[in-house]
Amino acid sequence: MVIAAVAMFDTRKGALPDVAGGAPGGLSGGFYPFWSAAVLFTFSALVALRSLTTPQAVLGVFKDRRSVASVLALAVPMVVASALIPYLGFYLMTALYMGFFAAVLGRYRWSWVLAIAILFPLVIYLIFEVGFRVSLPKSIFYDVVRF
Amino acid sequence: MLEVLSDLAGGFGVALLPANLLMLLAGVLLGLVIGVLPGLGGTSGVAILLPVSVLIAGSGTGGPTTAIIFLAGIYWGALFGGVITSILFNIPGEPWAVALLFDGYPLAKRKGRPGLALGSSFVASFVGALIATILLTFFARALAFEAIKFGPAELFAVFILSFTTLVGLGSEAPLKSVMMIAFGLLLASIGFDSLTGEPRLTFGHIELLSGITFVPVTIGLFGIGEVLASAEEQGIGFIERMNAKVGLRDIREAFGALRRRIKMVVPISVMGFLFGVLPGHGATAGSFLGYGLARQYSKNKAEFGKGEISGIMAPQAAADSAAVGSLVPMIALGIPGSPTSAVMMAGLFIWGLQPGPLLFIDHKDFVWGLIASIYLGHLLTFVICLAAVPLLAMIMRTPYAIITPFIVVISIIGSYSLNNSMLDVFITIGFGLVGYWLRKLKYPLAPLVVALVLGDSTERELRKALIGSGGDPSTFVTSTVGGLPLAATMLFLSVMLVLLPVIRSTRSRRRAVADDPAH
Repeated sequence: MVIAAVAMFDTRKGALPDVAGGAPGGLSGGFYPFWSAAVLFTFSALVALRSLTTPQAVLGVFKDRRSVASVLALAVPMVVASALIPYLGFYLMTALYMGFFAAVLGRYRWSWVLAIAILFPLVIYLIFEVGFRVSLPKSIFYDVVRF
Repeated sequence: MLEVLSDLAGGFGVALLPANLLMLLAGVLLGLVIGVLPGLGGTSGVAILLPVSVLIAGSGTGGPTTAIIFLAGIYWGALFGGVITSILFNIPGEPWAVALLFDGYPLAKRKGRPGLALGSSFVASFVGALIATILLTFFARALAFEAIKFGPAELFAVFILSFTTLVGLGSEAPLKSVMMIAFGLLLASIGFDSLTGEPRLTFGHIELLSGITFVPVTIGLFGIGEVLASAEEQGIGFIERMNAKVGLRDIREAFGALRRRIKMVVPISVMGFLFGVLPGHGATAGSFLGYGLARQYSKNKAEFGKGEISGIMAPQAAADSAAVGSLVPMIALGIPGSPTSAVMMAGLFIWGLQPGPLLFIDHKDFVWGLIASIYLGHLLTFVICLAAVPLLAMIMRTPYAIITPFIVVISIIGSYSLNNSMLDVFITIGFGLVGYWLRKLKYPLAPLVVALVLGDSTERELRKALIGSGGDPSTFVTSTVGGLPLAATMLFLSVMLVLLPVIRSTRSRRRAVADDPAH
């Protein structure tokens, strides 16, 4: 399984230089990326070859199902949350995201979940928007609710 | 000599400004918290807070000086903080605190002396850092003034040498290190070509024209990647209570122990410093080196692993001195000495400074302010640690369901706020997943970041050298500094550094296959 994963990973990376190539000529702009791509290609091929020819003692990349689940439990909401920012804005996203974790992973009481969902965006607002004058993305409801 | 001291005095003048002291304090406190939290390391802490440092550099009175003092403060704080959880809970808060598990926890738990264990590590950190900082004060300037004479050919050779030391010394997987370097260089070349203005590797996307900046990538690789990696190990949960007070008696005893071991701690600190100066190796490698050396040359080897104070002091002194040492190549040559200093160097670029020897001439305040703040930062951390250990031990109990999403949220703010760009946020998340996966497959991340940060400069020097010689590559052999063919020597060393470990690892693998009875 590891071998397959490593090999797949490498071929995916190895595929990059073909597109990346460019003209390898003298001092043109393509010279440098082409050669870094070429080195990358050569060495990923070597690593792939090696992982295919040498036996590996490791049984699997992951210890067990539970660890896969715990990584996914973190990765999936993260991707979803960042994809929602353009629509919900940063503050609503933070409230939902942190509230979700407190409720699902933490299993806190609802009062706590609500407190977390309100408190964290508020503190972030005070530090960044007021303190550092950084404007974070606002939601599509900005005209109505101002955040 | 006198000149150095007067420069240093000027540096203290800068570092003692109220704004700088305040930011040093803020950095150290944040660093301690980051160090204590297991899901977050010094490198990721510095990466996540890099955008904050940009805001500090832009708004404060001190500008970049205040910003670097802040970032360096995080590093010092994290160096001390990671130790606390190692000793008290047998959970390393930082990779460089792993060596502290061997003797720190036994001394705290089995011998019932957590105060002494913590005290010894703080004292050793402090002494190690002090020795290293004194070395840095004198060494960095000398090195920088030599480096100013370098032309493009030499600079290119220096960059190549720093890449290859990453391969040559990162003994585990030389091939993978080369891959990561090439990948980093490739990423760095995305966007407009700085010499010809020709768009490269953009595949027609306008957003990619300005290139992939290293900040969102490093926040992703280290911040998000580390959170994901630690999510997998969250089976720990149970943390027992231990009285974590460091009393005056403990400190006195720790100093006494240090006095008896001074012949061991001083050389190890010097070794740690030299090790840190080599590109790509910071505190983590230093602490293991320190532990190994102390054990090797100890009279009572049998005591190691059972709570021997030398086993606490040696790795800690070496870790701190290596961390300080890793700043030397950054300020003297423009090459990061460790992953953490690679991230700091990214900061220098963003604040509009060119890391390298010219800093000593053009930005004297910056360099000497930073050096003086290293002295002050360690003193500050030392004092805070003595007082605040129980408090820091409590932070460790912050629930996972709050701290993890919070780190993700902060990372997102960080990568967004730099250019107000959603693309950067997606890059961060994407590289977080990539970084996690690379970690799983045991690809080293340090070479990737170093190459990404140095990629542009390396290319520029290469092309400047070739333009200067009219496209004749023999310039790398014939170019001399003060009559010495430095560029050629460094390039030769580089080739050796790559070839030797590759051959060695191929051989050892062959042998492993041959010895395996199953085959």
